[in-house]
Amino acid sequence: MRELLKIVMAVRSQWGWMAAGILIGVAVIAANSLLMAVSGWFIASMAVAGVTKVSFNYFVPSAAIRALAISRTVGRYIERLVTHGAAFRALSGLRIWLFLKLAPLSPALLERYSSGDLSSRLRFDIDSLESLYLRIIAPLFTGVISIAAATLFVAFWSKPVAVVLFFALIVSGLLLPLALRRLSAVHGRESAVSAGELRSLVSEGISGGAELILLGAVEMHAEKIDALSARLVSSQEKLASVGAMAVSGLTVSLAAALTGILITGAASVSHGEMTGPQLVMLLLFSAAVFEAAGGMPAAMQMLPAAKESARRITELADAAPPVPDPLSPAPLPADTGISFRNVSFAYPGSSPVLSGFSLELPKGAKVALTGRSGSGKSTLAQILLRFREYKGSVTVGGVELKHLTADDLLTLISAVPQNPHIFNTSIRKNITVANPDASNEEISSAVYDAVLDEWIASLPEGLETMVGEMGCAVSGGEARRIAVARALLQKAEIFVLDEPTEGLDPESERTLLARVTRRLKGKTLLLISHRQAAVEIVDTVVRIG
Amino acid sequence: MNTNPLYSDNRGEKWLFSEALALRRNLIISITLAVLGGVLTIIQAKVLASACYLIIIKHSDIRLIFPLAGWVLCIACIRSTLSWFAEMYAAAASSEMKIKVRSRLYRSIISASPLTRRMGTAPLVEAVSQGVDSLDPYISRFLPNLALAAVLPLLCLLFVLPVEWRAGLVLLFSAPFIPLFMILIGKGAEELNRKQWVRLSIMSGHLFDLIRGLPDLKICSAVKREAASVVRVSEEYRISTMSVLRVAFLSAFTLEFFTTVGTAVVAVIIGFRLLNGELELADGLFILIAAPEFYLPLRTLGLSYHSRMQGIAAAEQIAPLLFQENPEIHASGTLPVPAGGLIIAYEKVTFRYPSGRGGIVGADFVLPSGTITALVGESGSGKSTVAWLLLGLASPEAGRVLVNGTDLRDIDTVDWRSRIAWIPQTPFFFCGSIRDNLIIGLTAVDDDSIRSALDSAAALSFVESQPGGLDCLLGDRGAGLSGGELRRLAIARVFLRGADLIILDEPTAGLDRQSELLVCKSLKNLSFGRTVLVISHREETAGFADRLLRFIDGRVQEVSISEEYGNA
Repeated sequence: MRELLKIVMAVRSQWGWMAAGILIGVAVIAANSLLMAVSGWFIASMAVAGVTKVSFNYFVPSAAIRALAISRTVGRYIERLVTHGAAFRALSGLRIWLFLKLAPLSPALLERYSSGDLSSRLRFDIDSLESLYLRIIAPLFTGVISIAAATLFVAFWSKPVAVVLFFALIVSGLLLPLALRRLSAVHGRESAVSAGELRSLVSEGISGGAELILLGAVEMHAEKIDALSARLVSSQEKLASVGAMAVSGLTVSLAAALTGILITGAASVSHGEMTGPQLVMLLLFSAAVFEAAGGMPAAMQMLPAAKESARRITELADAAPPVPDPLSPAPLPADTGISFRNVSFAYPGSSPVLSGFSLELPKGAKVALTGRSGSGKSTLAQILLRFREYKGSVTVGGVELKHLTADDLLTLISAVPQNPHIFNTSIRKNITVANPDASNEEISSAVYDAVLDEWIASLPEGLETMVGEMGCAVSGGEARRIAVARALLQKAEIFVLDEPTEGLDPESERTLLARVTRRLKGKTLLLISHRQAAVEIVDTVVRIG
Repeated sequence: MNTNPLYSDNRGEKWLFSEALALRRNLIISITLAVLGGVLTIIQAKVLASACYLIIIKHSDIRLIFPLAGWVLCIACIRSTLSWFAEMYAAAASSEMKIKVRSRLYRSIISASPLTRRMGTAPLVEAVSQGVDSLDPYISRFLPNLALAAVLPLLCLLFVLPVEWRAGLVLLFSAPFIPLFMILIGKGAEELNRKQWVRLSIMSGHLFDLIRGLPDLKICSAVKREAASVVRVSEEYRISTMSVLRVAFLSAFTLEFFTTVGTAVVAVIIGFRLLNGELELADGLFILIAAPEFYLPLRTLGLSYHSRMQGIAAAEQIAPLLFQENPEIHASGTLPVPAGGLIIAYEKVTFRYPSGRGGIVGADFVLPSGTITALVGESGSGKSTVAWLLLGLASPEAGRVLVNGTDLRDIDTVDWRSRIAWIPQTPFFFCGSIRDNLIIGLTAVDDDSIRSALDSAAALSFVESQPGGLDCLLGDRGAGLSGGELRRLAIARVFLRGADLIILDEPTAGLDRQSELLVCKSLKNLSFGRTVLVISHREETAGFADRLLRFIDGRVQEVSISEEYGNA
């Protein structure tokens, strides 16, 4: 429950809309129940009047019937608009909340989640929280308020009838769903687990198809999938059975309520405490008010799934930042010389990648870092970017990195990370992430220095070509050079380039390195590469590992 | 989205309906039970109305009311049982369909060559898992509700018309407006709905894209700026969705409008007939209680419209995959594979994908026996195509792949595949003992051979240190062993199978130094007398190879390791 509360707290600003949706929902249920109540009372009174030949003012009730019919219909329309509007507002609040929460966790913490897991949390779980208000909170609150209001309304006419109705509504709206929730929780968990297993088994079978063919294990794998599919379907069937029980239970408790009201009402009528038409009114009112309880079992059934989604989201959002900012940050230094002294680093649960590493980079130095795979070159770059916590001392302009906020530090540093990300947008916007106001001249000079000019000229839409997951696919080498152009456009003093030329032929590689070093005259450059060409253009080569 | 020529626009629903026809027995039972339940509801209304009549008009003694009240409860119990069984029969129909379709769909997907797939792995996995589940509501909800909407209102009319034909006529004439308006509005909403799904995936894609790019945004000091764009995109989505919903809700509005107004008009008509003494209260009240029941199946149908949309959307994904052409990957040749070491030569081999991305152009190189050759290139550079062609999953467009001088096309595919092995980053292991996993697909292998294979793969010591040794049970996908250990087990499997050509995908990725060395050691052992091809996307991870081939945009360059890497 705590996870759900956290999610609800995160969208505090939308509480007004959410409450409005619930109140309109209650009003709609009231209009509908009153419509049936007035109709029943009207008919019974007309019948009594017909038999006793006593005159009956039918103008007021028939006008009320028309008014209620219209307000119910229009009210329902407005309710839908308001609740859906509130749900979407809440969802957009949730997205921005999560984005800002995740920013300090990336990349050190987020990389612990597989990209499939992260993607399903961020897409599926967030989207499924859309239903949190619409399908869970709103029906539950509307139901509870309506039950209370309906009981009070009936109590005004007859207390025994109110007691009968109250119990029937509580049983069908709260007790029955609570009892069924235990059943459905078990099958719900089973089906979620089987669905997850099925997904990974199918994905294994489809992507690892070649290996299975060569091992002669294709049919064996397919049969395993069939067995798992049967298990999944059987737990889904059990869930459906619980859902059907909820519907059946509602039918029985409604009938029990009507039976009870009929008997207590008949007794009241025979004692003269209530008129006959009033009994019909209360009967039809009660039948209609069950609509309020009808939404509650479904809402309760969805609760465990929503809780799980909320848990998965808050687990991400609540993680402690792996690289915390200092409480009282130091001001940015004027000098930008870097010094690593006795720096050590180990990934959790692994042997150390770096131990006792030291390196001085005076302002304006050009240094290449080489070494075999896994020797800690990229880790060193990430430590400098404050993506990883370190042991030992790293200073910029004499100030320890731990005493600066990451945001401040990163205004000094520009970098091409090991696996740069290409955003789903145009090449131009990908290049100007750091500097959206860059002029065309600035952009074309960065594009030229990153040796992207010919490639971009060959694209029909040039700089406006859409790239990334949904756009035109770029090769890893092109992606890296887009990142180089992006880094060059940034006004920084320190440049960290991690394998900027991987995927390039030797000739273009030399061109790129030459242009980049010319452009970065006077700036500090830390170049990570395992290639000979990179070693040739720097002042100092440091081998690591 | 749909480019399959075999598949026309509304095939999705047609196919789904034909699947449902095969399940008609359970569906008909389900519908019959639900109709019986509907009849009981009408009878229950009659009983309730009579009880009120007795109390109000006849001032009957309460003891006369008891049996009627008992009947109300009794009928409700029978109704609820019937409705439970109706739901279960519908669920059974849908379960049967899901199991059948999933099994067929998966087999159809894997029988097609990965090279001719038009979709990535992720959407295919979605189709087999979530997609098949989405067919459920169409079968278990929409179809029964459709039948009930056709039958139950008519049944209800049969009871109402003889009693009070005016009210019956109001019901009769208001009912057709409901489906009519819903269809009119629904058509527009359907189109808007589709667009909306696209927008939703763009929005969730946008957030995911930014989160994956967070390190880059931090480097660019652009986190706050992009946060504003998250808000902007979500707001745009809300505004566009609400404009769609305003229309979509109109159909619900129409439905509610006719139901409510119909009920209200019926109430007023009955009232005046009662006032004039032309109708008994028992009948009047019965009609008033039955009126909502008359509209209920139509409203339920309206609500299950979403189930239909969902089912059709999934069916449109699934049907083309089920009916796709599976071109014979390539006709198998008849020649046996030459015995002993294999020398593979690519002669000006070209293979391009329909999408234009990836593929290889005029590739010319040799993979000698007894060496480890590394094939390095960025993703999409064509290196996997080389492997696929070797596995015989496709034939080159131009040029030849030669095996000891014989064209691969002329070689018997089954024989060829028994001589090659493929080790991906996460090799395939099933739940079972280490022994069973090693001898999968083989018959009668003694433990000594297994031990010697494990020894050659530098895997014997860790296997023997496991509880039970060879009988130690592996979890799914080898859970319990490290990545390096699993790859060495897979290499041991190759020793056992006696394959002569081994293709490995990123054998050292994600390993620490110690396990990397062990994997390299077992690879060296493996390369004696065998042809080993390692594909990798980073040059530096292929440092242990004897030869390095670099792939850039589908073209191959042989790299002299000593020149490029100098002292490195």
